[in-house]
Amino acid sequence: MSLAEKAPTHLEGGPRPGDALKFEVDKLLTCVHCGFCLPACPTYRLLGDENDSPRGRLHLMRAVAEGRLDPATPAFQLHLDRCLGCRACETVCPSGVRYGELLEVARDEVARAGGMRWSVRAMLGLFARPAATRAAMAVARAVRATGLPALMARLLPSWRWMAGLRLASGMLAASARWPGLRETGRHLEESGEDTVAPLGRGHVLERASGGGTDGSADAPSERVGLFLGCVQQGLFGHVNEATARVLTVNDLRTMDVPGQVCCGALHVHGGDLETARALARANVDAFTAAGAEMVIVNAAGCGAVMKEYDLLLEHDPVYAERARAFAASVRDLSEVLAGRGLCRGAPLSLTITTDAPCHLLHAQGVAQTPAKMLDAVPGLRVVMLRGAEECCGGAGIYGVTHPDLGGQIGADKVAAVIATDADVVVTPNPGCVMQIGAGLATERVRTRTLQPVEILDESYRQAGRYQ
Amino acid sequence: MPHQLTRALRALVGDGGLITEPSRLIAYESDGLVAYRYLPRAVVLPTDTDQAAAVLARLHRDRIPFVPRGAGTGLSGGALATGEAVLVSTSRMNRIVALDPIARVARVQAGVVNADLSAAALPYGLQYAPDPSSQAACTLGGNVAENSGGPHCLKYGVTSRWVTGLTFVLPNGRVLELGGWGRDAPGYDLVGVVVGSEGCFGLVTEIEVRLTPIPEGVRTLLAIFDDLEAAGTAVTGIIASGLLPCALEIIDAETIRAVEASVFAAGYPTDAGAALVVEMDGTDAGLDAEADHAEACCRAAGASEVRRARSERERLTLWKGRKKAFGAMGRIAPDMLVQDATVPRTRLPNVLHQVGEIGRTYGLRIANVFHGGDGNLHPIILFDRRDPDEVARVDLASREIMRACVAAGGTITGEHGVGIDKREYMELVFSPTELQLMAAVEAVFDPLGLCNPEKVLPAGWRGSLPKRADQDRVRERGASVANPADPVAGLEGLLPHDRVRIGDAAAPWSAWGGSPPPVVLPRATEEAVAVILRANAEGWRVALAGSGTWLGSLDSGSPPDLVLSTAHMDRVLEYEPGDLTMTVEAGMRLSALDHRLARNRQWWPLDPPGRRRTLGAVVSTGVSGPTGAAWGGPRDLALGLSAVTGDGRAFRAGGRVVKNVAGFDLVRLLVGSCGTLAFVGDVTLRLFPRPAMDRTLVVRGACLEQLREAVSVAASHRVTPTAVELLECSRSNGHSREAILGVRLVGSAERVREERRLMREVLLGVDAGVVDELATRATEEFWREVRLLEEETDLALRLSAPREQTSKLIEAARSVGQMRDGRNALVGLPVSLAMSGGASALRVAVRDLCVESGAAEHWAEHLTGLRRTLAHYGGSLTVVRAPTGILRRLHKLAPPGPMGELMTGLKAVFDPAGILPAIHVPVDLPARNGGGLAKT
Repeated sequence: MSLAEKAPTHLEGGPRPGDALKFEVDKLLTCVHCGFCLPACPTYRLLGDENDSPRGRLHLMRAVAEGRLDPATPAFQLHLDRCLGCRACETVCPSGVRYGELLEVARDEVARAGGMRWSVRAMLGLFARPAATRAAMAVARAVRATGLPALMARLLPSWRWMAGLRLASGMLAASARWPGLRETGRHLEESGEDTVAPLGRGHVLERASGGGTDGSADAPSERVGLFLGCVQQGLFGHVNEATARVLTVNDLRTMDVPGQVCCGALHVHGGDLETARALARANVDAFTAAGAEMVIVNAAGCGAVMKEYDLLLEHDPVYAERARAFAASVRDLSEVLAGRGLCRGAPLSLTITTDAPCHLLHAQGVAQTPAKMLDAVPGLRVVMLRGAEECCGGAGIYGVTHPDLGGQIGADKVAAVIATDADVVVTPNPGCVMQIGAGLATERVRTRTLQPVEILDESYRQAGRYQ
Repeated sequence: MPHQLTRALRALVGDGGLITEPSRLIAYESDGLVAYRYLPRAVVLPTDTDQAAAVLARLHRDRIPFVPRGAGTGLSGGALATGEAVLVSTSRMNRIVALDPIARVARVQAGVVNADLSAAALPYGLQYAPDPSSQAACTLGGNVAENSGGPHCLKYGVTSRWVTGLTFVLPNGRVLELGGWGRDAPGYDLVGVVVGSEGCFGLVTEIEVRLTPIPEGVRTLLAIFDDLEAAGTAVTGIIASGLLPCALEIIDAETIRAVEASVFAAGYPTDAGAALVVEMDGTDAGLDAEADHAEACCRAAGASEVRRARSERERLTLWKGRKKAFGAMGRIAPDMLVQDATVPRTRLPNVLHQVGEIGRTYGLRIANVFHGGDGNLHPIILFDRRDPDEVARVDLASREIMRACVAAGGTITGEHGVGIDKREYMELVFSPTELQLMAAVEAVFDPLGLCNPEKVLPAGWRGSLPKRADQDRVRERGASVANPADPVAGLEGLLPHDRVRIGDAAAPWSAWGGSPPPVVLPRATEEAVAVILRANAEGWRVALAGSGTWLGSLDSGSPPDLVLSTAHMDRVLEYEPGDLTMTVEAGMRLSALDHRLARNRQWWPLDPPGRRRTLGAVVSTGVSGPTGAAWGGPRDLALGLSAVTGDGRAFRAGGRVVKNVAGFDLVRLLVGSCGTLAFVGDVTLRLFPRPAMDRTLVVRGACLEQLREAVSVAASHRVTPTAVELLECSRSNGHSREAILGVRLVGSAERVREERRLMREVLLGVDAGVVDELATRATEEFWREVRLLEEETDLALRLSAPREQTSKLIEAARSVGQMRDGRNALVGLPVSLAMSGGASALRVAVRDLCVESGAAEHWAEHLTGLRRTLAHYGGSLTVVRAPTGILRRLHKLAPPGPMGELMTGLKAVFDPAGILPAIHVPVDLPARNGGGLAKT
């Protein structure tokens, strides 16, 4: 065999299977097959099959682009489907292969070849319809309120379909507000150690040096829109409320943005790019109409895809330009907060550990700010989490579509959390909160999973900043 | 694949462990070298040695070839499924089996990622030294196959220096334990042979490695130059000045721009012509002075800027940019070919210039990233595979670069291996005899040619073997009582008269009693060839020797017909101080060598036992002395040699470059082969800058036990002394003893002063006694005594046992002198013990041994009993020197089982007629080839 194997460089005729990937052949060729991504990939580490590694999946995509492999092949679908989309491989890739983008194109290819599972199709359909989403979330909240899911997560056995039900129950239960958080300041006050008097409004901590990537460049603005999300708003409404309160304390009043919809992340990852584009257009419209200059997102998964709306709508003649401007205005909540001098809260007596959502760390490249945000809360004891940069196995709807694999990957994370013996593990993404929370619940551990803004919010509340 | 086979394999490894669908095999069609695609027949993912062995046995039954694969990061195509092979991947064998921080040994499964082992050792302040650029992804199994190096191997050496044992599955599915912790494995160095065999000899499933302390301090410099040549000159200057940095890496302009454009931007100025990374490590004291010194060297060579990493983060950024350079190339060109070749360091500027010319001639962009310290070049040729003309030019340019490197005295690969990519270049460096020998060695392990077919040896060499000599004939020949024609008469006319010694003149080589056999002293290898050919024609048996001091201890058979000695071959053939290599004839005495090297402020840091030691004897016995723990043994410090097989074929093995993985490693096979395989004519040595200061601290005590704690704190201290030696001499009947501990520290004056202070502190801390420092003369005395321990004695043994059995070991060693004779009377003889470093191995010497009137029988029984006792505790007993009468009863020709078959097979490759002494191993060789860490 010689070096001169040809790769297709142009398209002939109308759209055919594999065409979408053929368009991306230059991106695929960026991969030099060095293999550095292998140990970074959770599925490869678990299964040892190179088809379940980033390099292997890229090679399969390349085979499709070269016309050597039919995208309808079950193997192609299986191995793309098994990818968590955590993009840990992008962080270690020396060639800068845009794996996430290629994965989306490949999944789109799979979907068009008819390879999307009915369960995925149903779920994506649900999130594409705001009214349906709201209804489903209302039902879920009602079920959650019965307290049954929390009980089932603890008591159901781990065999067959019961395991799936147990996981789902655990996830739902983990999304609930934790009343215990309110208790955390109490005994500190009683013992009188390390307490500070509530501070007056406007007291500002020193600006963190070398802080957020660009947050410090943001001037205080009144034209800030908060992205609510579908699961975040449906099950974690309390987090969105907390976010708004925390922003207000820090002189950022969020505006009302009517007409915003699901971010489309699940659709992008699931291979339904058309619906994702429709949702993206709707969001661009909504925030533009409201006149938002900055879009703050408190869910890592949503933020990751919204920062890439420019790529999603690259070929849209009407929206390409607006999507670029929109994507540039998206900030993760932690970037915004850590970039500004943060108001200090009351001390909380908590041992916490921080997990990094893949879509914040690897997809958005935001590493330091979530921890920095909690510097404003005195009294916290922070312990390191082993493998904090590794995926928890939640990965959007992965925990639901691949309960076995997701469960095994999640088990590692849960074991690491248990080893820290922390009161709370914080992670700024609803999917991760539910996945880790479910794992902890089935292990019957007292450690709770929260989003970091909830801690800050409680600290502000106890400091009297909301009076 | 036949359905039946599929079913059988699935039964062995389970559903998830077998891949057979063509669409799922695509991902395995390439490894790190994407220029080739070979679709495997199937992929099997075993989880442990048992599964792997069962899989190989099953494939062997159907005569189906297989290819071992780790992470598939190799750049020579070694893991490609050529020959319609089944891939056996170690990706599921990724468990660290054991890690002993006190003995500093770890045992891992072959699929463990290199960086993961270092991460696991980190909490104990230890690391695994070899750090190939792909260490974040590559597996230790792959490292073993390729004998991987890495930026830091300039100081720490390549993989072979750190691997002590292997669990190895032969292509027929039989499992062997090779080597093992303790090192004194009898027979040939099979670990050394398998390391670097590129997966062609079998499948390595578990690996035992040594770990090393993470150095206390590190200084990293980055020097910017206007052009590559200036950077090369700086490297030569640094080495010549006596510094031994742990890494010297050069990055050229093209690479700098690619790295800076990638996510790993290290902050190099993008307009620089070349950048040189210099790193020094060790005890903190003295490092700054060394860094200043290196900086001065860089500036003298014309560096426009020299930066120092001020924090660990800055240092890591520097390294990250270097280590991920290959990957970053994807940014500037769609395809790249990473070439790999080594040249003697002083030829670097010249060869770099030629590489640039070659690039211009063929109109190709060539980027250079390389290990400047050891002359290992990595020209990266950038191209686009969609342009067939360019692809053709890449092939031509590659070949030309290889030619240039070989012409400069280098070799075709320093660390990436030959694989499939460089097979056709093998003939540039190896003669037909050498290729034939390699093919024959391979066939000993893999007679059916099932393992990694179509790799390493050029097409046509594998399988075209001379018929293997009949093993029984070899045995018979070795044991027969010779009655040949008179050798002296037979040599008439072949050599000048002064080459032959008989009668009293031959006495120094007499080790067999009776009248000494004639001794032939050739002046050159050609003369040795003539003698060996004549010996083959006449059926003489030949013993090989240097000064003759080891003869008696190596051959337990009857006297040979003649002795062939290198004593008159003692010229320096080639010495380029700047390359830190020297080629010397084998008869050179170590004392003369040291004297010669001292003039250039260099040394060969081995201190093997013996008074009149010749280099040939040191290499042949493979024995190292007290400095072995810190510097490695002859197998690590001999880069190449030229030799003559038992049937008179002259060949060269290895080369004269520090890093060399071209072909199978015959050097390590010959080192320690005790003159049973080939006559060694000359040896190329790896040299080091001579330390400016050499000091020895001593502590005296009443017995070994009293100083044991002192030994272990000294040996495990992070300053890593060059030697830690504990001696104990008993006077008579073992009642009165005295012990002395010597700790040798070498290096720059500043460093030694600081280390001496630290060492004094820890020795006083364990309350071992008064710590004295020896004067220069006393130092020499002390180490001379250690050297002579095993020579001026009648019986010398090496005993080892697992660390937790050290007290049993000492007990056994002391009882060596307490033998009960035929009348059950106790014979008590004075015994001297020596313990090197923290290893739980002892050298034992017994004097005043009398083996008249049947005592030999009792001694043999006594020693066999001790050996059994030690084996019971997982240890071993090796005889270094003993009267012939004892040896004959203790040794036999070859051990039974697959291990013995391998050894006799190798012997037959080199000495088919059996004219050289037969290989001797203990009668009751345990199933293992040595001791080792507990396995699961």
